[in-house]
Amino acid sequence: MRVRLFFVSAFALLFLFLSIAVTAAPPPVSESVQHCLGCHGNDFSLELQKKEKLPLFIDINKFTGSVHGSLDCSACHAGFSAEKHPARVLKNIREYTVSGSVICNTCHTKFKSAMHAKMTEIAKKGGKVCVDCHGAHSIQRAPKGVSKDSGYCLACHVNELEISFRDGEKQSLKVDIEALPLSVHSKLYCSDCHFGFSAEEHPQRVFRSKRDYILAASESCRRCHFDKYTKTLESIHYAMLSQGNLNTPVCVDCHGAHSISHTGKDRTTSAKRCEKCHGGIYKIYATSVHGNALFNENNQDVPVCADCHRAHNILDPRTFDYREKVPQMCGNCHANKTLMGKYGLSTAVLNSYLQDFHGVTLKLYKKQKDFGDNTTTKPIAVCIDCHGVHDITATTGPNSSIVKANLIKRCQKCHPNASENFPDSWISHYEPSLKRAPLVYFINLIYKIFIPFMMVGLILQILLHIWRYAVNR
Amino acid sequence: MQKSDLIVGGKIRRFSNYRIIEHQLNMTAFAILVITGLSQKFHGYNLSQWIIINLGGVDAVRLIHRYAGVCFAVLTITHIIVGSAGVIFRKWPASMVVNKKDFTDAIENIRYYFGTTDQPAQCDRYDYKQKFEYWGVVVGGLLMIATGLILWFPAGVVKYLPGELIPAAKAAHTNEALLAFLVIIVWHLYNAIFSPEVFPLDTAIFTGKISVSRMKHEHPLEYERITGESAGHRHAHETEEVKQENG
Repeated sequence: MRVRLFFVSAFALLFLFLSIAVTAAPPPVSESVQHCLGCHGNDFSLELQKKEKLPLFIDINKFTGSVHGSLDCSACHAGFSAEKHPARVLKNIREYTVSGSVICNTCHTKFKSAMHAKMTEIAKKGGKVCVDCHGAHSIQRAPKGVSKDSGYCLACHVNELEISFRDGEKQSLKVDIEALPLSVHSKLYCSDCHFGFSAEEHPQRVFRSKRDYILAASESCRRCHFDKYTKTLESIHYAMLSQGNLNTPVCVDCHGAHSISHTGKDRTTSAKRCEKCHGGIYKIYATSVHGNALFNENNQDVPVCADCHRAHNILDPRTFDYREKVPQMCGNCHANKTLMGKYGLSTAVLNSYLQDFHGVTLKLYKKQKDFGDNTTTKPIAVCIDCHGVHDITATTGPNSSIVKANLIKRCQKCHPNASENFPDSWISHYEPSLKRAPLVYFINLIYKIFIPFMMVGLILQILLHIWRYAVNR
Repeated sequence: MQKSDLIVGGKIRRFSNYRIIEHQLNMTAFAILVITGLSQKFHGYNLSQWIIINLGGVDAVRLIHRYAGVCFAVLTITHIIVGSAGVIFRKWPASMVVNKKDFTDAIENIRYYFGTTDQPAQCDRYDYKQKFEYWGVVVGGLLMIATGLILWFPAGVVKYLPGELIPAAKAAHTNEALLAFLVIIVWHLYNAIFSPEVFPLDTAIFTGKISVSRMKHEHPLEYERITGESAGHRHAHETEEVKQENG
């Protein structure tokens, strides 16, 4: 009987013990904390003056897991205890957060880094306070001694930090951790680009404006991408920048900062980069035969901005040097047999231009320039003059008349007295044939036969004359 | 005219000073036109590019070409007017007119080259080779002047004529230029310089005089006509003697 009673009570105790253990017995916390949890362990909130609701629920598991898990509530919430619970009137959550953060100073009397001092200093003007970054009841120890690991930086920079510039503009310092792994630089450390910054060092820098900051930040890129950097030195953007136009784009303006992706994979993305500043031209391009194919058919064969203007060494398109390169630019695709074969386009367009009067003149101007002659300023007609610049149209179909209209307008620029039929004197990239320009075809044919015939005849006579002379001697 | 007046120091006066100057001007204009024109036609060659750059660029080359073209045109047109006026007013005979004898002469000469006759064709003041070249220069020159003007003023021409005329004129101008250049380089320079009968240079057009022996040899009919003497039956073996005297 006694034995039976023992077993029953033993099982009962074990069951009781287990059931307590399974129902997540509250961790061992001090009595005073348990006292607070009596109310604050429940989900309830306080409505503030501005109708905001301040949640008053404390997750005891998070609290005990925090660095302050062993402290009493009153250690931070001074003035509150089992006996005292002063009622306070609060305007909004922000006011409560800011006032609550003052308490941290009672223990953490000295800021670990100047960065902290600066951030709390600007707290009055809407900056950050301790709990904004560190949290309140779930404070974790800051990672240490892993200066290269991005995790160290992100401990702060996942938060809504801001930098204020002298002109009053602000810039978020929050790093989008979602985008970071997608970047081509996901394997780099923060300090690879943000050189001078580490767990030990966090220099305070003052910038006049957000633009100044971006320009300075872009300087990092050339430490690895020196080839691209040197190319940009030849670009019109760099020339404008060095003349004091700070709005000209630098690396990060096109490539982004923390979300740098592979370039050149998708042409639409590439074109969109230029759109940011050159929106008007972008719109015109979108209606062109190339832009239309890109945006409506996702055709990746067509040129985008960077194909003609280059990506880094962007030339001033108004110069002779640029004009001189145009036929070759177009020829890159339009003289490519495999590429043009897909669309049934002729590849003779390049050579027929280059061998004609204008193409020859352009080529010789280039040669003269190479030899130091800079007097040639005549803008010789190139592809874009008749076919359009950004609004290039198909030469067949409904828009073909635009090319014809361009042609006469372009002719008249250099030939002011050109009449409406003057463009007929350009046989439009066609080889002379019986159908196209038969007169030219016949003249060429006649000479092709006549010149050799004549020369062979004359040379034979000369040889016969010499032979006769030699025989007579 | 007495024979003694015609022949001075074994030489016969063949060309007047007018013709000498005309030839030299024509030669200069032609050389300039060839240099400035063919360097544009064969623009891909280093030599062409060297010429163009050293003449001050393609614009300068075109300007020179047009000035030289104007000179050439004036020379050609003047020559035609003066020449035909001279014939009309009987100042000189129409010795450049092509006639049936020129064709028979050509055939006879070729037979002589092949050895089927033992005597070359007997020619008058101008032999068939010279007439061929002369008319080549006159007719070719007129063609070059016409097509050159079309290319110089394309917009003006197309106002009244079809546009295809411009590339056609370019084709004709450039092909005819090449032909003229080749004929001069091969045929004319052979006959005037490299032919063993005149080597190192036929000076007739520069001095205006020709040796009696060459006159008898090359223009026997004219010699007989102006001197009243026989040019002598010339045999093939005499050519060597002719050459020595010529020098």
